Amino acid sequence: MGSPKVLSRESVAAAEISLYNSVLRIKERHGLEALGIAFYDGETTLQWAYNADAPFHAASTMKLAVLLAVERQITRGELMGDAPVHVRNKFISIVDRRPYMLEVSRDGDPDLYVHLGRTMTVDQLAYEMITTSSNFATNLLVDVVGVPVIQRALQELNIEGIKVIRGVEDQAAFEAGLNNEVTANGLLKLLRLISDRKAYSAEASERMLQILLDQRSKGGIPAGLPEAARVAHKTGNISTVHHDAGIVYLEGRQPYVLVILTQFDASLSRSTAVAEISRDIFECVAGMTGA
Amino acid sequence: MEKEPGLKIVDAFDLDPEVRSLLKPQETAEGKDGRRHQLPRYFYEIPSHEAARDTRLSAHFGLNELLLVDLKEAERLRAYPRYVPCAVRILAFYLERLREAVGSPIHLAVNGGYRSPAHKLAVGATPHMWGTAADLYRIGSHVLNEKDTIEKYNRLAEETSGELWVMPYGHEIGKTDDHIHLDLGYVSLVPREMSEDRSELPQELPRFAFEERRRADRRLPIAAALAPGAAETDTPDD
Repeated sequence: MGSPKVLSRESVAAAEISLYNSVLRIKERHGLEALGIAFYDGETTLQWAYNADAPFHAASTMKLAVLLAVERQITRGELMGDAPVHVRNKFISIVDRRPYMLEVSRDGDPDLYVHLGRTMTVDQLAYEMITTSSNFATNLLVDVVGVPVIQRALQELNIEGIKVIRGVEDQAAFEAGLNNEVTANGLLKLLRLISDRKAYSAEASERMLQILLDQRSKGGIPAGLPEAARVAHKTGNISTVHHDAGIVYLEGRQPYVLVILTQFDASLSRSTAVAEISRDIFECVAGMTGA
Repeated sequence: MEKEPGLKIVDAFDLDPEVRSLLKPQETAEGKDGRRHQLPRYFYEIPSHEAARDTRLSAHFGLNELLLVDLKEAERLRAYPRYVPCAVRILAFYLERLREAVGSPIHLAVNGGYRSPAHKLAVGATPHMWGTAADLYRIGSHVLNEKDTIEKYNRLAEETSGELWVMPYGHEIGKTDDHIHLDLGYVSLVPREMSEDRSELPQELPRFAFEERRRADRRLPIAAALAPGAAETDTPDD
């Protein structure tokens, strides 16, 4: 660790060309309709991107923005982490203002439903929203902080490319084409702020990081890494997208931040493309710095 | 009814300004139907969570069950000492009767008992602000989120007493699809120990010493005005 490692221009150029070719092969092999990648290495300050400003359906990566907004409110003293939230399965569609309920069986954490009618704290919900990707916890927190506050948090930190307009599983909104969107660069900016302890405060960043490190899903970026790697990340999956955005910690070096967004036809099942790209990036990093 | 809960009864006009401004005693609140109702003035003061838990309003209902709120309630009103309108005892009496009728435990939802006028769900006068409404999310093992179950228990509640009003099943505003709402309307209870005269002199046998001290402070100007030889002055409004 210490000051950034200086790489020769030639080795960087060679690595970029190699990565580009590899990524194109993966995209073709898996029949991806769209692919977006953003990468920043804290060890070398190397940045690399592919189609990184293209918007994708956010799926569950929008939960990173919700987490950021929760921490904003806590930092400002407008919300307490131990404040109780009524666990109620009733949400309002942004399209027609009609109420809708989430399906228990589809949630990342069905256990959350045993709390129906009772309360959970903001901290507990934030933890479940990220670590088990609970849609129920997410919608409860979106109700607590409100969509305008989520958007304001992103603006305050100059994070462009993330658009949050609603909670999750709002089917009427989905059918009307009203979706949360992310770009690879937008998510990269958000995660870099957390990694650099600059997302509102060092304490707030640390809290978010610890939650992200407890991520239960090991698909996506971690699947392309050595077992010893620790990844603070958030995946996002629906029938047509598979994303992962994370901070990768490897022994003896500064972390790198990686965002991989993939979109495919609904007739195809989720592929291993994200893990393969993660592996390529790791091998590239290892080749340059001996990680 | 059960025996006296043993909690201090307070006149909300005598509470500190912050709490008073949140409880809004005797202010008028307008319901969605345009009818106006006067908010309650007399409250039980609950010193601690343990007191709320240990205070039985009826055989099967503890006071704590009617105080469940989340962060939509004003932060000050979530902290002890907490306040609940005295009419909550009447509600407990009817809940007990309903429990007897259904033969199973009745579970109140969070935000389903007393809600202050400062609660974020308080968009208009609702009997929740009087402590005379209850939202039930579960009866026995039945989670109340299906039409048949809600309508079945709604009928049972209505048969329990003509005083109980139940919200019909439905998805629209004014209907419910994930709980049972029942209420007694806008009932205010005036405990026999309390005088409704806003300028009354201190009671001969003050029951609540702490309350008496503040009340005495408030009445000092009035007492002075009534003293022999005093000049005629305006009585300060509460």
